[in-house]
Amino acid sequence: MQKFKKVVALLVASLMVFGTLSACGSGSTKTTEANSDGTVADGETTDAGDTGVTNEKITLTTASMMGGTDPNTDAYQAVIDAFTEKYPNVTIEDSSQVSDQTWKAKVAAQFSVGDEPDVIQFFTDNNASEVLASDQFVTIEEIREVYPEYAADITDSAWQASANPDGVNRAVPTTGYWEGLYCNKDLFDEYDLALPTDWDSFITAVETFKENGITPVAVSLNEVPHYWIEHLMLSKAGGEEFTTVPTDADGNLVAEAPESWVEGLTILKDLYDMGAFPEDSQTISNDAANELFKTKQAAMQLDGSWYSGGIDDQENTVVIAFPVVENGNKKANDIIGGLSSGFYITRKAWDDPLKRAAAVEFVMMNTSTEQIEIYWGGNGMATVELEAPDDMTPLGVSGLELSNNATGTFAPTDARLAGEAYSAIITSAVDLVNGTKTAEEILNQALQINIDSQE
Amino acid sequence: MLYRKKGPLIAFLLPGFIMLFIFLYVPFVDNIRNSFYNMKGFVELQKFIGLSNYQEMLQDSKLHIALINSLKMMVLTVVFQVGIALLLAVLVSNIKRGQQFFRTVYFFPIVISATAIGLLFNLFYNYSGGALNQILAAFGKEPVNWLSAATAFIMIVIPTIWSYVGFYFVIILTGLCDISEDIYEAAAIDGCTKFQAVTRITLPLLRGVICTCITLAVTGALKVFDLPWVIAPQGAPGGITHFMGTYMYQMAFVNLNVDYGAAIAVVIVVLGIAVSLIINKLLKPDENL
Repeated sequence: MQKFKKVVALLVASLMVFGTLSACGSGSTKTTEANSDGTVADGETTDAGDTGVTNEKITLTTASMMGGTDPNTDAYQAVIDAFTEKYPNVTIEDSSQVSDQTWKAKVAAQFSVGDEPDVIQFFTDNNASEVLASDQFVTIEEIREVYPEYAADITDSAWQASANPDGVNRAVPTTGYWEGLYCNKDLFDEYDLALPTDWDSFITAVETFKENGITPVAVSLNEVPHYWIEHLMLSKAGGEEFTTVPTDADGNLVAEAPESWVEGLTILKDLYDMGAFPEDSQTISNDAANELFKTKQAAMQLDGSWYSGGIDDQENTVVIAFPVVENGNKKANDIIGGLSSGFYITRKAWDDPLKRAAAVEFVMMNTSTEQIEIYWGGNGMATVELEAPDDMTPLGVSGLELSNNATGTFAPTDARLAGEAYSAIITSAVDLVNGTKTAEEILNQALQINIDSQE
Repeated sequence: MLYRKKGPLIAFLLPGFIMLFIFLYVPFVDNIRNSFYNMKGFVELQKFIGLSNYQEMLQDSKLHIALINSLKMMVLTVVFQVGIALLLAVLVSNIKRGQQFFRTVYFFPIVISATAIGLLFNLFYNYSGGALNQILAAFGKEPVNWLSAATAFIMIVIPTIWSYVGFYFVIILTGLCDISEDIYEAAAIDGCTKFQAVTRITLPLLRGVICTCITLAVTGALKVFDLPWVIAPQGAPGGITHFMGTYMYQMAFVNLNVDYGAAIAVVIVVLGIAVSLIINKLLKPDENL
């Protein structure tokens, strides 16, 4: 009996060890599962749809920026539902999230350790530099050699704008974005104020709203000061200088920020001192700041095209180009925006004969003209030829005008600086308004980090 | 010798050891190595920089704030978390009816996730429409920015301490249950008052339990992360509410300065070990056991 117990104990312990090890090594296991009809296939691929998606049970891991509070979350989920309905043998494991710094870091870490998803909607610009460095994406050219109709509807200009920094296209873009100054027009009407199309009217609006107990501008300086930093620098520097990372005469990067960048960023502190931002702008969450604007407790908010879908009052809200600051070099209708993301297929999925077609089909469903029209909804920029919807709200119309009237569209600073350098600017916004750091110190420090990261 | 054959012992110990080795010790050693390199992303070692990150810590005023806040948190957890837990446990152990009710009430915050508690307190503290400011408004008072530089630290400490009192309460109460009733009865016959019973019998006999609680509280304070991060992300306002854990996270995952974050993590571990050793040396928990 004693011996039997020992044998059982050893068996249990061995199973635990084996279980642990096999769980760790799941990445290398070979898929051999029963089909829905009960037969067993080992790696065979059968035509089941347009792209030849396998009949075998497989799991496709996907990730996108259309999660959480993103207005396209439901539309993206509908694609996943339609896909799994069409291919019931394919399980989609999706981990979509709003694209904040933490998510970017998480994705970079996944790629670093070989745990990347099969399909991912991710940045195409410098934000993707770390991930691109791992060389885990398949190029559009390579995919089209096998699937000539892959993303065939995307316009040439969209392909051009969404190329990676090395000029190669790897991602299929769906929509682009613009950033602008959202205004609660009814509040401007109530206090007989003109929309802030120039700096004087902007300052007048700030002062008037402040006097009347309305927060002039909703912003979380602690969490999302990005838009203000970008727009103030663009407004002061103008498009060309704003998009040029400073170098010396020999073309080497230098850690000396242009005067115009410094002056532009310094205006953030001036506005803070004027009382343009919420009383708790240093601690308020971005969601709470959004609520201030949406519930008419704040008159203005700088944000991107993705924000407009979440605004309930589409009738009395408009979005306009950020005004030109005093002695600023930006043209009145220059905006920040672009095409900076798209759907990638990773090498891991492409090289897997069971997953390749499923990954291609998933991207094609997400990037068809019909689906892009849904994602676009008249908001931001579309990457296929589309007509403006008939039922556009006044806010939608103002967004379309902002985009159509743009004299120049410039990508934000994170498209040009290393992630660590850009983060150093963003996380210093509170230090700037508190006077703990000057704009010059912040920018020079960030440029130095950028140089260090290039070495 | 209880176990003559070591085979089964090793077989049972091995899975746990393998798990710890792969998921704790290997990453920990990796982390120490990373702190000596300039890193690009989370894996690529770009350049050996020696002690640069550790030298940078000496100049980093925000890290100094984080360290001071963590030390302050250690003291506050010992005084208030363990102190209140001890007081409540002694009081509850002395009541005849309703003991189970109070056990449940005081332990309840432990089962709520820290994120939920953080969001709850966020709703209390919100400047615009927060519960506290609504109460003030009802009395005709001006709203207060509860998370301003002057009050933010204490506003974070309150829920952090409150949420863990129940944990120590249960540990101490269990310790109290182990003290034999006979001792109290004998003391009562000798004319011992309730207060004397607490100071002369309960506290000395609880020494081991209290020492364990203090060690857990102090090391826990050094690792505090979730509640402060939810209530005031990124050490808001302006990094003054950073703790070692939150600052390490910010450096590694927000600022993407992975190697500096790794160096801070090493310091947290070293501090944790040092503090535990000092506490053990000072309190000598095993003296009466």
